[in-house]
Amino acid sequence: MNGDRRASVGFTFAGRAVEARAGDTVAMALWRLGERTLRHSSRDGAPRAVFCNMGVCYECLCRVDGAVVRACTTLVQDGMRVEPGGRP
Amino acid sequence: MNGASVVDADVGVVGAGPGGLAAAARLAAGGLSVVVLDEGAGAGGQIFRQLPPGAARPAADHEPPSHASGHALLAAFAASGATLQPLATVWDARPGRLWFEQHGASRLLRCRRIVLATGAHDRCLPFPGWTLPGVLTAGALQVMVRGFAVPPGRRALVAGSGPLLLPTVTALRQAGVQVVAALEASPRRRLWRALPGVLGHAGRRREALWYARQLWRAGVRLQWGCTVFACEGDGRVERAVIGRVDAEGRPRRDTARTIEVDVVGAGFGLVPSIELGLHLGCAARFDAGRGGHCLVVDADQRTTVDGVHAVGEACGIGGAEVAAAEGEAAAAAILRDLRGGPAPAGAAQRAAAERRAADRLLGAFAPLPGLAELATPETIVCRCEDVTLHQARAAAGLHGTSLRAIKVGCRAGMGPCQGRICGPFLQALAGGEPGRPMDLPVVRVPLKPVRTDTLLQAPPG
Repeated sequence: MNGDRRASVGFTFAGRAVEARAGDTVAMALWRLGERTLRHSSRDGAPRAVFCNMGVCYECLCRVDGAVVRACTTLVQDGMRVEPGGRP
Repeated sequence: MNGASVVDADVGVVGAGPGGLAAAARLAAGGLSVVVLDEGAGAGGQIFRQLPPGAARPAADHEPPSHASGHALLAAFAASGATLQPLATVWDARPGRLWFEQHGASRLLRCRRIVLATGAHDRCLPFPGWTLPGVLTAGALQVMVRGFAVPPGRRALVAGSGPLLLPTVTALRQAGVQVVAALEASPRRRLWRALPGVLGHAGRRREALWYARQLWRAGVRLQWGCTVFACEGDGRVERAVIGRVDAEGRPRRDTARTIEVDVVGAGFGLVPSIELGLHLGCAARFDAGRGGHCLVVDADQRTTVDGVHAVGEACGIGGAEVAAAEGEAAAAAILRDLRGGPAPAGAAQRAAAERRAADRLLGAFAPLPGLAELATPETIVCRCEDVTLHQARAAAGLHGTSLRAIKVGCRAGMGPCQGRICGPFLQALAGGEPGRPMDLPVVRVPLKPVRTDTLLQAPPG
């Protein structure tokens, strides 16, 4: 990512402090960091991750500051608390 | 965010892809107030996605020739005075009213006309391992690279069917990803059938040549009559089993071989996003060549509901040129309705010509029925509710093969995606009679999951 002129944004994922670029979605910020698994399936506990990346499939549901949201349609913001496993 | 909970405009446009942008720019230039709602962070839709401001461009930043028209549309939209409301999810509507959630707030757009430019999403097919992290839709990989300059992985497999495999491969190459295999399930003779539709259209001819050159330079050869059989790995995709399929798409298991990959993009064409139109009461019809159920429109892009127009992929898959031309046609008709005066010449005719040309091309890539055999009884078909093919078949046997019966019987399609992913293939896989037309998707409010607060605080319409 040479030449990226975007501001740095700090948030936590599963309690761990991480950094992202302003304008990235939560899903893309985590993918950049190598984090794939965003939730586990309710039945067999298998890991799930971003699938459609355009707000259709709801595979990337996670909790941001307590609210269940799609990671792929939520922009990262300073101080955000992101928790995996967002099925209500 | 743009303040008030209630917004008024002459025209509300849903979707900021080429169809919505063309309609909005023309309407605003004609003196109408226009508000465009889109779920994305910026204008452009999936096809003309823009990087966030200030983001570094990928190392090899080549764009296909068609993207020049995207830049022109975005510039015309920006100069037109039409307003974009980004990250907005429409969850309820009736003619003249669009309720949406934005940044956790509940909002309402009141308008005299609605233009549905809701686009399309990837047609998925279940195969063993398709729920593993690292297995994504072809569209998802394009968004990753072109919308965010995120490299999806190191070694990729691209598999599926239809023209969109090509931009997926080039996007991966631009992000520095090695494309280990690019598999088109259709038999090669479909290329010859598609060729008149490509060669007979100047824009598509240029586009096809550009992609051919890109693939040749990258040393990637599209393999016809092949697809992904399964994905494997411990917690994320590490291997893919690929092989040949017959002319109907049935996997030939004797040809299976395993390749090492860390990301897979699968896309078997596109499905029109028509849920909002259905909820508004618009009639739809089934057209396999156009991707399934499509909203019915007349030459002025009027749906069967007064005050509601539809353009682009929602009226059947056709591509960006069709969407933009139909957006112009809808705008011309709305301007005539609301402002009077003579009809701007030719918009409807140009849209019809683009649509005919697209039908000739995309008709060659109709879904292959045999690909349904990729799924085994243990394969999950409904990703939201973790329903296996075996369970869906049992439900269909017990309750009937309608989409509703399968849903009630096993919860397939009852999760947060509301059947958008599994709906297009569920009936065929669960044992629907061959040749029986597919049911329309079951649509309910909220059209997409929203917060309870959004429902409770919805401005009265």
